[in-house]
Amino acid sequence: MADQQFDSALFAALAGLRSQPGQRQCEALHNPTPCAWRDHRADHLALSDLLRRLNPRDTKKNLNAINSIVPELQEDLLSSVDQPLEVRRCPQTNRDYLLCDYNRDGDSYRSPWSNEFDPPLEDGTVPSEKVRKLEVAANEAFDVYRELYYEGGVGSVYFWDLDDGFAGVVLLKKGVTPGSQSSGEWDSIHVFEATDRARSSHYKLTSTVILHLANQSDALGDMDLSGNMTRQVEADLPVEQGDASHIANEVYFGKAKDVVGELRTPLSETNRDRAAQLEMIKSMQK
Amino acid sequence: MSSTIEFASSFIEGAPPGELADVVADVQALTSEEGDLIPSLAPAFERYNEAQLTTVKLPGSSQEVIVSEFNKVDGNRYFDPESQTSFEIDHITQLDQTASAAQSAPLESQNAELIKSLLKSLGIHAREHYPSCSYGVYPIENDSAVAILLVANRYSPNNFWNGRFRAIYQVPVSSSSTNVTGKIHVDVHYYEDGNVALNTTKSVDLSVPSVSAESIISRIATAERDYQEELNRAFVRMAEGAFKGLRRQLPITRQKVEWEKVGGYRLGQDISGGKGR
Repeated sequence: MADQQFDSALFAALAGLRSQPGQRQCEALHNPTPCAWRDHRADHLALSDLLRRLNPRDTKKNLNAINSIVPELQEDLLSSVDQPLEVRRCPQTNRDYLLCDYNRDGDSYRSPWSNEFDPPLEDGTVPSEKVRKLEVAANEAFDVYRELYYEGGVGSVYFWDLDDGFAGVVLLKKGVTPGSQSSGEWDSIHVFEATDRARSSHYKLTSTVILHLANQSDALGDMDLSGNMTRQVEADLPVEQGDASHIANEVYFGKAKDVVGELRTPLSETNRDRAAQLEMIKSMQK
Repeated sequence: MSSTIEFASSFIEGAPPGELADVVADVQALTSEEGDLIPSLAPAFERYNEAQLTTVKLPGSSQEVIVSEFNKVDGNRYFDPESQTSFEIDHITQLDQTASAAQSAPLESQNAELIKSLLKSLGIHAREHYPSCSYGVYPIENDSAVAILLVANRYSPNNFWNGRFRAIYQVPVSSSSTNVTGKIHVDVHYYEDGNVALNTTKSVDLSVPSVSAESIISRIATAERDYQEELNRAFVRMAEGAFKGLRRQLPITRQKVEWEKVGGYRLGQDISGGKGR
């Protein structure tokens, strides 16, 4: 999940970048990802409900299954479902970058380091010169952020033009010790839109974190904690944010632990108290 | 069509605790153009019910009994030794959670006395530790062993979480000591603004000095307690270990970054020297 540092980073970096001269943008809101869902609205609702229920560890497998049942939904699937990010190496710079729908054109992906498509495209969609400058600066800034907080991993930032501003996505991926007794994988996807208003800029940020943690030992057996969470923040600068890293920690570890406690109570005394308490609540509800 | 049934079946069997009806509704909506697919999914519903230890109410009773492979009589008929009743369920419409066609079915087993004592001890153990649960003890393997089952469900869809604890043990009945083998499964689903799933499986193998209900249930109670404690430690380990290994709470400089100056940072210089401030 994005945290206060991250939100501050994004907003402050954007504000800093955008206060440079010559960054005026034009008007009228334009959404670069057209909504193709209307034709299959009911299907889409059922699809998103189903994916919210089935095990998040199996999202890729489930998507393939749904795609085989309802092939018409394929475009929606690609653009609306968050999956662990894939890594590719930029042939020009020999640096790794992340793939997503926002740097894809046909079957090619654009490297944030070289601005070139792989496989090469003659007329691939690239940001305007101004926005590409911002994109380069943002990649430098978030490379620092990634090294400070993740000590490794891969990051990429992609920007694109809007009629009255610009939008972008910040991607981070990090895995630890896959295959060993304890492994983890973190993928975060932060999509933002920055639109100009009369006196300030309006920012909208949607953050998704996909987390997979697995743990195995004789005493514990097999334990798998997987998930994805999405959170939205909208702000006119200056902004105040909550610390969502805590939220992620709380949800992934605190909530799951609490529910196990609901299923089984370790102390029978507690159990009796709880039973009495529940009985009282029930009788009051009658 | 056949692959549609295969995939739809995998969704049914993958439904989280307490959310089977929701998954069924989604599958129906996504497959509406193929006609009513649900009757073709009967085998998947049966596998789900037996693996997840689905509970149903006996007719005219508030008591919930377990459906599993261990107490299956034949077809859709299952057996509950405690109430000495056999009952039928419709695997597809069991969503209303009521059994039908109940019949008296006396417990016929050479281990009937042991089964009755186990039910009594297990009942005490269950009431002490599981706020809402169902359990059962059944003769298995040609009456040479018994199966001990316990399932605890807590559903809180208004708060976007549901959970299930299942314990499945098998005990060969012999004249002297024996071994209790089995598995404990914990499944938790939390889905507010996302989809987070905890799935655990723990194998147990417990030696029991004598084949008595007290010693068997006492060993099981200890194993379940130890497992819950280990699970709680694992949450802490994950939060402290794997999670922090993925992402630090503070940067390696141990100071929060002044983001206004982020453009001025250069990797390998300011950072390694800790000159962020």
